[in-house]
Amino acid sequence: MAVDDVPRLGCGRSIDRIWATIDQPPSPHEEKCEQCQSARERLKKLTEATRSLRESDLHNTSLKPRLSVKNAIMNVARAEIRRSRRIALHGKENGTTEISEQALSSVIRFAATAIPGIHARRCHIEIRSGGNDPSGEDRPSGNTATAANEGAHLIINLRVAAAPSVEIPRTVDSLRQRISNAITACVGISAGTINITVEDLYDV
Amino acid sequence: MSEQPVQGQVITSQLIASLAARTALETPGVLRLEPTIQGFLARLGPAALQNLRNPGSQNGTYRHDGVTATISDGTARIHLDIATDIAYTALNVAETVKHRVRESISHTGLTPGRVDISILAIEPQPRTKLS
Repeated sequence: MAVDDVPRLGCGRSIDRIWATIDQPPSPHEEKCEQCQSARERLKKLTEATRSLRESDLHNTSLKPRLSVKNAIMNVARAEIRRSRRIALHGKENGTTEISEQALSSVIRFAATAIPGIHARRCHIEIRSGGNDPSGEDRPSGNTATAANEGAHLIINLRVAAAPSVEIPRTVDSLRQRISNAITACVGISAGTINITVEDLYDV
Repeated sequence: MSEQPVQGQVITSQLIASLAARTALETPGVLRLEPTIQGFLARLGPAALQNLRNPGSQNGTYRHDGVTATISDGTARIHLDIATDIAYTALNVAETVKHRVRESISHTGLTPGRVDISILAIEPQPRTKLS
C-alpha cells in the first residue's frame, strides 16, 4: 500500500513542488538535476497553455455572467460592506436590535450635507459603557453595553473639510447640533459625544 | 403494518422565513431586506449552499435574502437584516417589526422566540417608491 500518493520524480522531488515554483528561477538542485529540468520544461508548456486558456476565458462573452447575476453579486457585496461593525441598540429576552456603523455614519453624513460649507469625511463611532464599568474601556459592537441603555453612550469622531469662507467655531457647533438631532430622530438614541475635527479647507 | 401515526412538519422554516420577510416589508419604514451571501448561493443552487452549511444548520434553519428562520421544539427564531427609511426612527421601526413578526408567527401555531434585527442601512426612500 502506498504511503505517499504524491507523484514524485526519480530524484525524490514532488511534481507539485515544481509546479508551485514554476514561475520562479530554478533552485540550485533543479539547475543540476536532469529529471527536474525535464519536468520544468514540460510544466512550462502546461503553464503557457493554462495562461492562454485563462486569457481566452476572460474575453469569451459566453462565459460572462448575465446582468441579473452580476447585479445580485454586487448587491450582496454592497450589503456585506454595510454590515461592517455593529452597535447594539436594544437587548431584550424577545430579541436584540443592532445597527451597523455604516448605517449610523450615513445618518451623520446626511445631517452634514445640510450645513453649507462642510464636507463630511471619515467617521468613526464607538460605544462606551457607563459608570458601572470600572475599567472605563471602550466597548466595540457586539458587547453587552447597548446604546439605548442608561449610562452607555456613543462617541462619534467625525472629520470634515470646511470652506475657507465659513466661520469654523459657529459652523461646527451647528453641525454638532444637526448631527445630534438627526441621530435622535432617525435612529432613536441620544448622540452622546460628538467630536468634530476640521482637518482640511477646500476651495468652493 | 405499523399503526403509529406518521409525523409530518407542516410549518417549515422556509414558510416562517417567508412570513417574516413579508411582514417586515409591510411595516412602514422598512425599505428592503438586505441580501446575504448564503441567501444568494441558495438562489444559485442547493449544491453551492451545501458547501457552506454545517450539519447543524440543516435541521430547521432556512436562510434567504436578509432573513434567517429557525424552528426548534415548536419555537421559531428569526433574524432579519433590514434597511430603514431615514424619515422614520429606526429603533421604533425595528420594534414594530419585532412585534408584528411575533404576532404573525403566533398565528401559525408556533411559539414566537427571539426576533433579532440588524439595521444595516438607513437611507432616504427612493423616488420611485413614493406613493
